[in-house]
Order: sequence, then C-alpha cells, then structure tokens
Amino acid sequence: MAQSSGVGPAAGTSLREDAGAEPSRRTPAQLPKRLGRLARGAASRGSRVGLFVYALTLGGLLGLASADYATSGGYPFGGTAIGSWTAWPRAGSLDSDPYSRAVNARRSDIPLAVGEGMLLTAASDDKGRTLDAACSYRLAGVTPPARAWTLTVTGRGALAAGQEPVRTGFTSTEILREPDGRFAILLSPEVQPGNWLPMPRPRGPIRLALRLYDTPVAASVGSLDRDTLPAIERTGCGS
Amino acid sequence: MSRGAFWLATACGLVIAGIVHIATVLAIPRFSEGDAFTRARASETLDHPLRIHGLAGAPAANGEWLPNPDPAVSVGVCSYDLDDGPMRVSAQAGSLMLSVSMHSRRGAFYAVTDQAAVRGGLDLVVMTRAQYDEALANDVAGEVTRDVRIVAPARRGFAVVRVIAALPSERAVADAAVQAVSCTIDSPAEPTGEEPGKGKS
Repeated sequence: MAQSSGVGPAAGTSLREDAGAEPSRRTPAQLPKRLGRLARGAASRGSRVGLFVYALTLGGLLGLASADYATSGGYPFGGTAIGSWTAWPRAGSLDSDPYSRAVNARRSDIPLAVGEGMLLTAASDDKGRTLDAACSYRLAGVTPPARAWTLTVTGRGALAAGQEPVRTGFTSTEILREPDGRFAILLSPEVQPGNWLPMPRPRGPIRLALRLYDTPVAASVGSLDRDTLPAIERTGCGS
Repeated sequence: MSRGAFWLATACGLVIAGIVHIATVLAIPRFSEGDAFTRARASETLDHPLRIHGLAGAPAANGEWLPNPDPAVSVGVCSYDLDDGPMRVSAQAGSLMLSVSMHSRRGAFYAVTDQAAVRGGLDLVVMTRAQYDEALANDVAGEVTRDVRIVAPARRGFAVVRVIAALPSERAVADAAVQAVSCTIDSPAEPTGEEPGKGKS
C-alpha cells in the first residue's frame, strides 16, 4: 500500500503540469481537427476529471479481471514439476501462497495436508502433448512410497446424466500388478484387458490426479524424480 | 500534452490495477461465503462429522461440495469454535486407513493418520494456548494421557476426517467409519476428562 501513496501526488503534479503546458501547444499548430479537439478537451477542467475517472476505471476493471482470472481454475503456481506430473505439497498448508488460498476458497476445496498425503496432477503426456480424451494412454511404472494411493481421471465440465463412466480411478489395492510389483494402467475410450480406465468424456482435455496417502515424500518433494512416478505414454489417437 | 496526460493516466490505471489485484486476491479467502470453512460450519451442532463426500448410498442432505473429490475416499468435517471449549476428536483405528487433519481458515495446521493411534484409539484435542496451559496445570503428576494436544492458530476452524475405501466393497464401511468418529466439546472444567457427558444426536 506504500505504492499507492507514492503514486497519488506524482500523478497530481504531472497532470497539473500538462494542463499548464497545453495552451502553448494549441496556439501555433495547425493540428488536424480531431487532435485539436482532443487537446482542447484535455486542457479543459472536465477532462482532467475524465482522465482521473479513466485511470480509476481502468485500474479497477483490470485489477478485478486479472484477480478473477488468476484465482479461477487451478493453482497458478506453487507446484513442483516432476516430468509430466506436478506435485502440490503445500496447497493447503498455513504457509501456502495467497493465490492457492484464494483458489481453495473459491472452489471450496480442502486440499490434503502435509501429514495426510499429497496430490500430483498431470495434464500432458511425457512428450508434452495435452492429454486428450480421444487418445489412448499407458500409465506404467511405480509410485513413490505411500501407504495407499489413488489414481483418478477427470474431464472438464459437468457430465451429461446417464453417462457416468463405469470407473473413474484405481486404488493401490485394486490394481493388477506384474510379479515384480510394477503396474500398467490403460487409459482408453475402448475397452482394454488389464487395468482399463475408461475416458470420462467423449472428447476434450482430461487431467490425471495421483493422490498419495500417508507418504513421506510430501515433506520432501525434492526426492522425487521421473523414475519414481508412472510414465504417461500415448499409444494411439483417433477413432 | 494531452497524449502525455493520457499515457500517465494509463500508467496510473495500471498501478491501480496491480493494487486492486493484490487486494482482491488477499480478500477472497477472508470474504468468501462458499469456502470450506464457511460451509463446514453447518456441522457445528453435530457431535460426529458432517459427511461431505460419501461413497455409498444417497448423497448427503446438504450437498457434496468438494470440487474434485477422490472417488475412493469418504470425507467428513467437524467445525469448532474454541470459545465453547477445546474440541476433542476421537477415532477408533479400524481396518481402513483413516486420517484426521485440522484446518483454520488460512489452511491446515495439523494432520495425523491412524498409524499414530495408541491402543487402537486416536484422541486429538484442539485448544487455544490458554486452554492448553490450563490442561497442563490440571494434569495429575504421573498420570499418562494419550491425548494429542494441538494448539490452534485461530479460535475457529474445522477438522477433516478422511477414510480410504481401498476396494469398492469397503465403501459402506468407510462411510460408517467417518460417522463413527466423535467430535465433542470438552467441558472447560475438565479439559482432560476421558469422555465428555454429551448425548448422541
């Protein structure tokens, strides 16, 4: 708020200077009609109020619009990117940034606390392409140490009635694993053998959420790397 | 110069926009009426968690408002106001994984899972600094309490109980486990009493 007090007087003095300089400019020049009208308008007392109102309106609208944009949807920052995944260890803690707090308040969300678990999200595959509901993906590998985890897929917008997918996610207990403990989830619009996760929407972008419960990595996200998280590989596209 | 004045006004507008932006972002959590803190206050009169995301059966009466709930986790909230006395959250560790987290309006300040349970029970007591000092003073020397005492950063907040149903067949059990947790107000006279004398609703 120190900024605002600094700006006020500065704006006032320069406006006054401008108003004083105005007549010298207006008299000699054979300005185009429009510019002349503009200059005369600016010189007049009413236009100073007009500029003031303009500055206030611009500031108010732009400030509110940008605040709305930054706090609608997901968290604008605060995540840690690990490959195609982004970890959100501090989204709901006391020391989270004001944007995360505003996003949580607007969405009425209750993020996982550090001692409880951690959320990881992915919106693109390993090659950086946006996850698309029309494509098929293979999620394979391991997960970080956790007592339990769930992997869910969500699309954007509300579902039409009667179109609920048969399954929206897997838990660590119900997944089918290889003998060595690795697993592969097939995310596809078509039925697949093994761990098939149907697409939640016929089209559009989708997001994956990996929630680790009771995990030590929430306190040390730096210990995670690409190899400790499931790889997201696109296996095919189109119908 | 009129053009100079115009640009100056624009520059001022941008500075004002920055100030408005920062003020708005900071003000949203404070004045929000749809955030979890405000919605959780519907549970203030209950002595068990208010279900906000159930897995089995019909949805809760006052709606399930979590934006992206985990489909395998049953969630309940207990709101508290420490002016009424310390809040005690008692949970029994069952077969399913359970976690309890404490939130103030600013965010979560404590979380624990059922792995911290002592003899199968988890007793958390949220209190203010003054209530904590009083509880310490009232402790009988040599007597061991299994309460986990947590000093809250604000007088009002809510506790969140999450139970994970690892298999679809455990969903009803998970919902029941959330409902089985008790959130009661410890009477101020006996902050360390085992069970406050409060009837079930």
